[in-house]
Amino acid sequence: MKFNELLKKLMNKTDSRDIAKKRLKFALLTDKLEVKTDTLGNLQKDLVEVISRYFVIETESIKIDIQRSEKSSALIFNTPILSATNQRGLPSA
Amino acid sequence: MEGKVIVVTSGKGGVGKTTVTASIGAALAMQGKRVAVVDMDIGLRNLDVVMGLENRVVFNIVDIIKGKCKLKQAAIKDRRIENLFLIPASQSDDKNAIKPENMVWLANKMRKEYDVTLLDCPAGIEQGFKNSIVAADEAVVVCTPEVSAVRDADRIIGLLYAQSITPKLIVNRIVPKMVENGDMLSHEDVVEVLSIDLIGLIEMDDRVVVSTNTGTPLVLQNDSKAGKALTRIAMRLDGHPDLAIENPMAQKGFWKKIGLKLSRKN
Ligand SMILES: Nc1ncnc2c1ncn2[C@@H]1O[C@H](COP(=O)(O)OP(=O)(O)O)[C@@H](O)[C@H]1O
Ligand SMILES: [Mg+2]
Repeated sequence: MKFNELLKKLMNKTDSRDIAKKRLKFALLTDKLEVKTDTLGNLQKDLVEVISRYFVIETESIKIDIQRSEKSSALIFNTPILSATNQRGLPSA
Repeated sequence: MEGKVIVVTSGKGGVGKTTVTASIGAALAMQGKRVAVVDMDIGLRNLDVVMGLENRVVFNIVDIIKGKCKLKQAAIKDRRIENLFLIPASQSDDKNAIKPENMVWLANKMRKEYDVTLLDCPAGIEQGFKNSIVAADEAVVVCTPEVSAVRDADRIIGLLYAQSITPKLIVNRIVPKMVENGDMLSHEDVVEVLSIDLIGLIEMDDRVVVSTNTGTPLVLQNDSKAGKALTRIAMRLDGHPDLAIENPMAQKGFWKKIGLKLSRKN
């Protein structure tokens, strides 16, 4: 159907097939990023535990969220730092 | 040697699981295997009518599990094909009448009795689906070239991986003409998005409806393209994994070329 394709290009028509494929790819991506409500809570707990080894953080004002846009998704973790903790990992003498 | 249990699943309803189960079961039995097909849709029995065995149902899968009958008593012998048996679903019981551990027990019994057991999984991801996949050794995922069906297939594939099963994909109800015109996802599109291995491609075929009207096996209809494709899928599932997958699009091209040649000569 080479001729058909050419005709479509000339008329600037997008195939519904291509639209379907694009929509699918996006849907599958966001489906996988959709997390159970307690997953983010658990992640926050784990992150606080790890970060606390290095910094004193203010746990009350921590924000964790997944932000989605048309093209990409990001995990946003925002925490105020109060100070550095006593570093456990100092090179031993 | 023990037999294997293969689940036919999809997520979405109406994509062809029951058609595929009945046809692959028939084809495998004709290829000399001892085969059982099991209707896992408790409360919404279907496979019996598709196979034309609805008048013979006496016992069902729930009866076996509750100990009301033996596996052999519930297995209905096919009217035409030797070594093909149906275990019907219960029409009156509740979806939750069977627990996963019951299915594990039944599957072990079936492996001893049959070379291949095919489980016709209900739509959705609830109890019937869970029961079907805990018992399975292998899985075939059926999907159609539509956004909703492919999305559901993706979800199912993820759940199968979580059970350490690597499924194979059937794309059903392909309309080559629509794909060609850019009005339908091609099987390449579907495979690219789902990134799993194909085991077969089935065209949209009026013969499928005709065969369910009469309850006769699709694979016995010589003029059915879908029937032929399903026979080849059955071969791939059992002993001939490398048998080439026929591409409905390419076939069309071939005939078109011949048609062109002929019209040029005349
Ligand atoms: N390749 C095909 N061509 C035409 N009709 C089909 C094809 N595959 C399935 N069908 C029809 O689609 C409907 C749903 O099929 P079925 O096997 O019952 O799906 P499921 O078990 O997944 O709900 C039925 O009416 C069946 O006859
Ligand atoms: Mg069905």
